[in-house]
Amino acid sequence: MSNVLRPYLAAVRSTLTAALTLQDFSSQIVERHNKPEVEVGASKEVLLNPLIISRNENERVLIEASVNSIRLSIKIKQADEIERILCHKFTRFMMQRAESFIVLRRKPVKGYDISFLITNNHTDTMLKHKIVDFIIQFMEEVDKEISEMKLSLNARARVVAESYLLAFAA
Amino acid sequence: MDVSFRKIDIDQYEEDVLLDNELYEADPRDPTQVLNDTKQKGAAVHSSLSKGDIQGALELVLSDAPYGPNVEEAKNLNLQTLVTILNSTKATEIPGVVKSLSQDSQDTLMKYLYKGMGLPGWGDVSGSVLLGWHEKLTEVAGTGCIVRAMTDRRVV
Amino acid sequence: MILLESHNYIIQNTLADKLQKPTSLDVQFVDFDSVRFHLSTPERKTCLLLSMSIRCWDELVKYGVNDVLQRVYGDRVSPQPEPEYNVSLVLDLEQFPSEGEEREALIKSISLLKRNALAAPFELAFSAQKELAASGTGQGELLAVHYRDEEAIYVQASADRVTVIFSTMFREETDRIFGKLFLQEFVDARRLPTIQSAPQVLYTTRDPPLELSHIPNLIQTDDVGYVTFILFPRHFVNPIVAESTISHIQNFRDYLHYHIKCSKAYMHSRMRHRVSEFQKVLNRAKTEVAVVDKKTASGRTLVR
Repeated sequence: MSNVLRPYLAAVRSTLTAALTLQDFSSQIVERHNKPEVEVGASKEVLLNPLIISRNENERVLIEASVNSIRLSIKIKQADEIERILCHKFTRFMMQRAESFIVLRRKPVKGYDISFLITNNHTDTMLKHKIVDFIIQFMEEVDKEISEMKLSLNARARVVAESYLLAFAA
Repeated sequence: MDVSFRKIDIDQYEEDVLLDNELYEADPRDPTQVLNDTKQKGAAVHSSLSKGDIQGALELVLSDAPYGPNVEEAKNLNLQTLVTILNSTKATEIPGVVKSLSQDSQDTLMKYLYKGMGLPGWGDVSGSVLLGWHEKLTEVAGTGCIVRAMTDRRVV
Repeated sequence: MILLESHNYIIQNTLADKLQKPTSLDVQFVDFDSVRFHLSTPERKTCLLLSMSIRCWDELVKYGVNDVLQRVYGDRVSPQPEPEYNVSLVLDLEQFPSEGEEREALIKSISLLKRNALAAPFELAFSAQKELAASGTGQGELLAVHYRDEEAIYVQASADRVTVIFSTMFREETDRIFGKLFLQEFVDARRLPTIQSAPQVLYTTRDPPLELSHIPNLIQTDDVGYVTFILFPRHFVNPIVAESTISHIQNFRDYLHYHIKCSKAYMHSRMRHRVSEFQKVLNRAKTEVAVVDKKTASGRTLVR
């Protein structure tokens, strides 16, 4: 883990650990319903203060906690047009596979690139610290992946251009 | 057929509907007094800072922090005062300072750290400073402190 | 395979095949830029009819495509093209040279039909340049080839050079951004000492270059780009070099788009790999749930 990124990820890790204290909670608005309260947003008393952890203007994490679910949204660093399109492609690719990533939300919260929704069912069937590990690892690697993809794209473009022009020179 | 009646939020007419002001006890002071208090505190903090008393300055700014509605100006002022303290503290001094704070002050400090990071435009200025403090504060006060910042309705 | 080849692989293969063992056949196939081919045996097994339909035929006729094809294929060019096609070649297999290099060369030349048709404007421009160079000044006619619905090649001769301009259109945003990156590399690549002698490449988006500014009704959006190649006499004075320059430059668009597609495919395979890695990490979080048979009071297994 790079040294610059460490405090940021540490803050996300501790906040997420603190927020992942979930319990089963049936809706108090509609009988026999049991929904993630953070998504319903109808009962103020079960929603907690949303917290934002930001590294700079373009990289932040929003954690919205409630009694039975938390929603974590990530804004991924996008320095230029290419990174933007690669990030968009990557998050879209993942979100289309949301059913196998049970904690992934199909649509990001407005203003962010990707969102996770963790409910009490997930914390019941999965180890809490491992879920946190997953999120942190995702954040670590998504940046790396995007910059690697960008590098490989640039390298390919260079080779392609050079070999095309070289054929003229030959 | 007019269907706009479907959009009416009938829950607001419910007798035992929960209102914002029932979630926490309101600040007994009125907004102008809060603002004046905060300004005075800011001046006191600056004088302690010039003496190099970071600990005292921090305790001062975190006591009686403005919260609740209608005091946006005082809240922002207090945050700015706090950030000047945070910026002028050396990284090596942070753990000691944090350790000597009372639990209430630690919780309030945590709230301010999150508020600072959440403000648009602030991340660039002092994102890494706030993150550094956040890390040290979590080491000392534990995740409980974060939970209290999350659950306390007295939003700063 | 980094560079694309100009000949049509299906024509080459089928011809070689049929020369070995003539059978009746009727196949239709396509090449880049929605060029259609029809290969059939209308009369007898040993006489093949190869027809090609190309979008910009009318323009090519103006630039002397008939002469070029006549020169290359001689009387194999059918006087009357097959209906719905622009040009037909009658290939009598019995008159093909016997097995050996000569036959290979003929097959290869037939499989280059599309390339030879598209060569007409380039050859015209190259010869125009020679005349202009003699007189010292002036500019040749701007030869436009609308080889795709929204894209065109423009060729113009001047006294000391031939300018080839491709208008490109990217339908998708991803293609547009990738395309921009690739084209930028084409512009930058020339700085390398080994390719100093390659044609100069210029690239603009949205606004057409000066040579095209008088053409009305050009589409002006961010999706449109113009790539200009400046060919100097060293690229076409020698006839052999000229041949390879023509084949090569014709392929530019296909080459560019081929590599954009390749990069997208590569990104996709990378993402697939990365996502499956994430999946593994998440699966590690799952606790093992011991499967215990639940029994009802009467002793039967409870099925939910």
